[in-house]
Amino acid sequence: MFRVAIEMLLHDKTKYLGLLIGVAFTAFLVSFAMSYFAGFMTRGFALVSENPSAKVWVMDSAVSSAEATINMSNSSLGIVKGVKGVEYASPLYLGDMTARYANGHFQSFQAIGVDDATLSGAPKPANLLRIPNSVIIDSGGTDGKLQTPIHKKDMWAYNGSHLNAATRELRYGDEMLINSKRVVVAGVSHTIPRFPPRPLLYISTSNFKRLIPGEKRYITFIMVRPAKNISPQKLAKRISKETGLKAITSNAFKKETVMWYLINSEDVGDMVNMVVLAMLVGFGVTGVMLYMFTYENIKQYAVLKAMGASIKQLTDMIYTQVFIMAVVGSGIGVGISALFGEAISSASFPFRIMWFAPFIGFLGVFIVSITAAFISLRPIKTMESGIVFKL
Amino acid sequence: MSKIIASCKDIVKTFNAGEAEVKALQGITLDVYENELLMLVGPSGCGKTTFVSVLSGLLHFEGGSCELLEKNIATMDDATLTAFRGENIGFVFQAFNLLPSLSAIDNVALPLTIKGVQRAKSLTRAQEMLNAVGLNAKEHIKPSGLSGGEQQRVAIARALVHNPKFIICDEPTSSLDHKSGQIVMELLTKIIQEKGASMIVVTHDNRIYKYANRIVHMEDGKITKVAL
Repeated sequence: MFRVAIEMLLHDKTKYLGLLIGVAFTAFLVSFAMSYFAGFMTRGFALVSENPSAKVWVMDSAVSSAEATINMSNSSLGIVKGVKGVEYASPLYLGDMTARYANGHFQSFQAIGVDDATLSGAPKPANLLRIPNSVIIDSGGTDGKLQTPIHKKDMWAYNGSHLNAATRELRYGDEMLINSKRVVVAGVSHTIPRFPPRPLLYISTSNFKRLIPGEKRYITFIMVRPAKNISPQKLAKRISKETGLKAITSNAFKKETVMWYLINSEDVGDMVNMVVLAMLVGFGVTGVMLYMFTYENIKQYAVLKAMGASIKQLTDMIYTQVFIMAVVGSGIGVGISALFGEAISSASFPFRIMWFAPFIGFLGVFIVSITAAFISLRPIKTMESGIVFKL
Repeated sequence: MSKIIASCKDIVKTFNAGEAEVKALQGITLDVYENELLMLVGPSGCGKTTFVSVLSGLLHFEGGSCELLEKNIATMDDATLTAFRGENIGFVFQAFNLLPSLSAIDNVALPLTIKGVQRAKSLTRAQEMLNAVGLNAKEHIKPSGLSGGEQQRVAIARALVHNPKFIICDEPTSSLDHKSGQIVMELLTKIIQEKGASMIVVTHDNRIYKYANRIVHMEDGKITKVAL
């Protein structure tokens, strides 16, 4: 009877193709939307991802994301270094800086201050930050925000700002003013884009303090590498216990950051709502299409039942058809999502296929398909086989 | 006297159409004998199709008793009845009711497929039946590629492939021209003579009355006349 079920499914090519497109589109929609969302969230913890050697992150006990932070006392670095099992600890300073460009425009940056001695946390070649007053800039997922005039006459003009002057991308040697102090672009990096997108400015600690002198507390995070004889989890617990600071593994910090976005960010909440809505619409359409397919074939099932096919055989036939549709359709949908995602992620769109995106795509389609099959079985179970004489 | 294959006594069947109650069968009593071709005739809506639906276990009834092949079909549960039908009854429908997705040979093999007969065996048997109805060269053609007469012959082959003891034909010639109708009836007559089965044919087509052993006239859910 499986063969009969498959023949029935494939007989009307147009209908089959329509169903296949419907199921594939749903799977595509779900896996693509989830991958897109995962891509955004990955950008949300980009700071953690771009420091892979820091297995443990230490922060103020109230901090629960890489996005909303408060600084710790400057002595905390020494305290953490004193904890047994800490092989290496390096501070990271986060702050906001507004830079004035040569044509008079200004731009806000997230400043990332790195340790003077080790330059740990700076993009390569980090050594550029040893040049006096130097910074490394990064678009951080933005577009067209790192601009300076093309012509010298439009730079730092004595007659005021040249806001409408033609511009080009900032590059090595260009100058900006931060807090009325001169900084030189020593390099342009291309690290992981941020969510929300914002230009980044990597800077040494001493330069950081020179540009923002009023701050009392400079340390936002301490990045820790554990000694070989201790796991990151154990060391994190030990640091928390001995210092009173919050210490968690990098993976846990990433998860906390995602949770923080889900709870606190209205933008992310809107995105989640859109993803859920897309999923519901896709699932609804798929369910109705599958139900209609079975219902339209009810005459054939009635004939089979009249000829002696048991309810179990008919049920198996319907589940076979739905299973095939779900496997082929969601395979195509998830495949297209992966290919499409690969294409757009190379154009720097946030897209990251994590295990759960295709999984939920497949699972969702399966659940909906089985539900549709279950519902469409009802008229088949309850039909009087006598209708075969009226067909 | 021949053995009784089907025996119905005082069959009552009522349909509810909204608030109105329609008495489709009002105490039908009828026996069908072995090797008999019985025709059930009467105006539209007189209860012919309802009666064969009841007799074949496709429709439940409220009153009376009905035995088919010495089994009381009123007491069988749905699963047993379905299996019984698959084993013992063959159907030929007015609209053929072939599965459009299957070739002629696969359509014919369906009753055997349902019973779980091995595919090779069921195809061999189906081919024999197609040969018997004169469609040996068209086994791989789907119903849409066959004429009405050919489709009905496929349906007949399907109804007989599992050697049923009882065959029910609902208006088997109404969708066919006169010539095709005669061919189909000759085929049915020949086959029941060879196989020793019994057959009820529901029809309006008086051109095929000559093939009947008995003709039962129905009107308003009752048998009004039995003609030999």
